[in-house]
Amino acid sequence: MDQVHNMQSLYEKLSDVNSFFEYGQKLIPTIEKIVDFMKATIPLLENVNNSILDSTSKLPKAALQINSVTNATEVAVTEILDVVDGASSDLTTIISKLESLRTRLDSQKNSIQRLTEKYPDDPDVKDLVANGLNPEVIHEDYSAVISLADKIQVGLMNITISLQVQDITAQQLASANHLMNGIQTKLSSLLFDIGNDGEKETSAEKKVETKGESAFNADARYDRDHNSQALVDSLVADNATQPSQKEIDELFSKK
Amino acid sequence: MALKFLVVDDSVTMRRIVLNSLKQIGHDAFVEAGDGREALGKLQADDGINFIITDWNMPDLTGLDLVKAVRANPKYETIPILMVTTRGMKEDIVEALQAKVNNYIVKPFTPQVLREKIEQIIATPVA
Repeated sequence: MDQVHNMQSLYEKLSDVNSFFEYGQKLIPTIEKIVDFMKATIPLLENVNNSILDSTSKLPKAALQINSVTNATEVAVTEILDVVDGASSDLTTIISKLESLRTRLDSQKNSIQRLTEKYPDDPDVKDLVANGLNPEVIHEDYSAVISLADKIQVGLMNITISLQVQDITAQQLASANHLMNGIQTKLSSLLFDIGNDGEKETSAEKKVETKGESAFNADARYDRDHNSQALVDSLVADNATQPSQKEIDELFSKK
Repeated sequence: MALKFLVVDDSVTMRRIVLNSLKQIGHDAFVEAGDGREALGKLQADDGINFIITDWNMPDLTGLDLVKAVRANPKYETIPILMVTTRGMKEDIVEALQAKVNNYIVKPFTPQVLREKIEQIIATPVA
């Protein structure tokens, strides 16, 4: 009885093995397709790998270039500010000299007035008044020059205001650099995941130092329409009208 | 009262522009600092400083952290602080006001705006 049972169990096992081989035979074409697919994919993956490697190696150079743009514009802006300061200082001197010239002219005008009053019929005096220095005309010229100097002064100040764009763009560039730094880190870890450890180390070594997030405002904008300042003014005014903690404490202590 | 300003900004250009603007509106006493930490050192080293103009985004110690550190010290509880920054979002302005800046300017600014804010701060009685 045991022998019959053992034979039956053996037969069942053999039947299972047979089914396994039959299933295996059916599976072979699928496995072959997978192997073919993988063979075709390897060059593609190598291409992806090389592209990532290439992009990662170029990022530090781009970051350096951005840093050098920021430094170069800062130097250029400083030079422009030097020129503007020099011109502004010269203009102040010119205005001051003109003021002193006007004072002397006023004094001269009084002298001519006195001369005319003293010698109303003297032909030389008449000639001097008619053809000599005419304080009225000189006063007009003085006013015109002063007005022009004021205009130049305003222009120089506008240049200074516009130069604030350097700080704003520097913050935008720092933000871009920070973003590129993040991309480089991601790509480096991707290289590591697909087994390019050496390249990852090289890439990390090449990483360019960038400013921390606290050092720039990614939303910095060069906006001269003063909308932001209007918002500030309204919020500051609201803040000023709100009672201070001290006032609240005083109010409660009276009760 | 003669004002002596502590001008804090990591941008050399901006410090220069703020100083030029201050000179233009009649102030000529100032000390400069490139970040919040340097500013704290300069403030502690110079008792003559009685007005702070600071940027927000700076390395090491930001302008906002500087304001908090200054206000945490009873000695500087009432020193006027003017924030001059590119940050113009409502939440930024509110955060700065909560940290107790006296006023706030969004870059780019004009010397007229700077004068107006300084005068407003000086005219406001200390709470």
